[in-house]
Amino acid sequence: MNDAQIMERIKTLLGERVGEIVNPSPRRIFLNVEYPNLTAALAVLKDSLGFTYLATITGLDLGESFEILYHLANEYTNLNVRTQIPKASPHLPSVCGVIPGAILYERELQDMFGIVVDGIPDPRRLVLPDDWPDGQYPLRKDWKFERPEEKIPGGKTS
Amino acid sequence: MKFTVPIGPQHPALKEPISLRMTLEGEVIRDADIRLGYNHRGLEKLAESRTYLQNIYLTERICGICSHSHSSCFVQAAEQLLEVEPPRRGVYLRYLVSELERVHSHLLWLGVAGHEAGFDSFFMYTWRDREVVMDILERISGNRVHYAINTLGGVRRDIDEIQRQHILESLAVLRARSEYYFKIGANEPTFVARLAGVGYLSKQQAIALCAVGPTARASDVARDVRKDDPYGMYAEVPFEVCTAQSCDVLGRTVVRIKELMQCYNIIEFLLKNLPEGPVVVRSPRRAKPGEAIGRYEAPRGENIHYLKANGTDKPERLKVRAPTLANYAATIEMLKSGFIADIPLIFAAIDPCICCAERVVTLVNGRSGEETVVPLSRLRAMARERFQKAPVQKDAEWPL
Repeated sequence: MNDAQIMERIKTLLGERVGEIVNPSPRRIFLNVEYPNLTAALAVLKDSLGFTYLATITGLDLGESFEILYHLANEYTNLNVRTQIPKASPHLPSVCGVIPGAILYERELQDMFGIVVDGIPDPRRLVLPDDWPDGQYPLRKDWKFERPEEKIPGGKTS
Repeated sequence: MKFTVPIGPQHPALKEPISLRMTLEGEVIRDADIRLGYNHRGLEKLAESRTYLQNIYLTERICGICSHSHSSCFVQAAEQLLEVEPPRRGVYLRYLVSELERVHSHLLWLGVAGHEAGFDSFFMYTWRDREVVMDILERISGNRVHYAINTLGGVRRDIDEIQRQHILESLAVLRARSEYYFKIGANEPTFVARLAGVGYLSKQQAIALCAVGPTARASDVARDVRKDDPYGMYAEVPFEVCTAQSCDVLGRTVVRIKELMQCYNIIEFLLKNLPEGPVVVRSPRRAKPGEAIGRYEAPRGENIHYLKANGTDKPERLKVRAPTLANYAATIEMLKSGFIADIPLIFAAIDPCICCAERVVTLVNGRSGEETVVPLSRLRAMARERFQKAPVQKDAEWPL
């Protein structure tokens, strides 16, 4: 199956649930889906087109909203399912019910962007330390790291 | 009665910091939990403040074993964004280094597997032969670990006829040695008895948990980016995807040794069909707004880099997913109903590279079967308390 055939199949399978679908380079397909339809769309793609493998989930900070990319792959192509959620209420449905291997990526997404993944089987922190302050999300664009001033105990103050 | 035993982040069986919490019933593992974050370096954030050229060297430092994998994966995505096509000779040389890296990584893994199984002479033999391929890499790039061969639009160094002959001669040695290891790895009764049936991962679970690389291939999932999504010149290189049906550590060993043989064939093919011409073309420094995905078959499995450009010389976002992270979910499944003595073996069998999988610190304190998590702030307060009681001179004058 080539990219054009897969795109055609996706259009017929998903119907009106599918948004814009583009193929900018060989074996790279980008597909837009509204977030309420996400799990249903992934389930269809998995069962009918063999997209069982989720390579990773990428989060992007677009200012007013977050863009989430699900990088799927089968033996023919790489399919990237794109969805957007508002930054004011960052809620995303969990896809672990469809693809159990997504758990670590969803936990990372919660840590790094402060996105609440609804229905995640294991909501604990993954990469950030347990004493990390709440409300600090390192990969948001407005988050800046400021190195605390180094203090030598007992040292002279300058 | 169930116990929870913390293993790591500092543990003699694990060479890198990771915390595994095992729920045991007697000696049998009932549940396992993985805690990451001991080696998080914030690389994805850092990459946003570096230029494309600087990022090649940054991504190379994600891992100390598959360094070339990460830089190649990044360069693939960056070249697409910068709209530059590397010359054919450059492409051949780039993936020649990546196949040599696979040989060195698999030989290293074989040694670790032998060591964890208690077969230390195997470990010493394979690591001795690994020096052969390390010498080749040093001769090509001048470096043993970070080859720094990739650049935007090709590679930084060319090879001459003498180097080509040297690689072909060394390859004959490696091939003969690997055949011997295959005979031992698949036939030596004590070694086979130690590995067979350990760390079982069924085909269904490997698919459901999105396992990658030799871990997936040993569970009969023929997933290899070089075949599925041929980047570079892999579409024209004849090779086979090696799989095993046994779904255990033995299968993972067999898959890796078979892959070594395939690597030698690929290297030979690349050297015999090396095109003439330049190795690098000039590349622009700024990329038009857009996005690209680099996929690369690293020695441990699929490596994926997502790169987004915003029109400047720095990327808007770089997302890195190293193969080890993809294999953790499968590892937990493998550990379940295994024995505590199998932990190092099972864990080593995914060829974990913790620094790869993480890109910040907590401590686990386990006493009398009870487990408590002590945050760093509490630990610091405890240290301060203890320190204040100690007879030390307060408000000491700084000597300098």
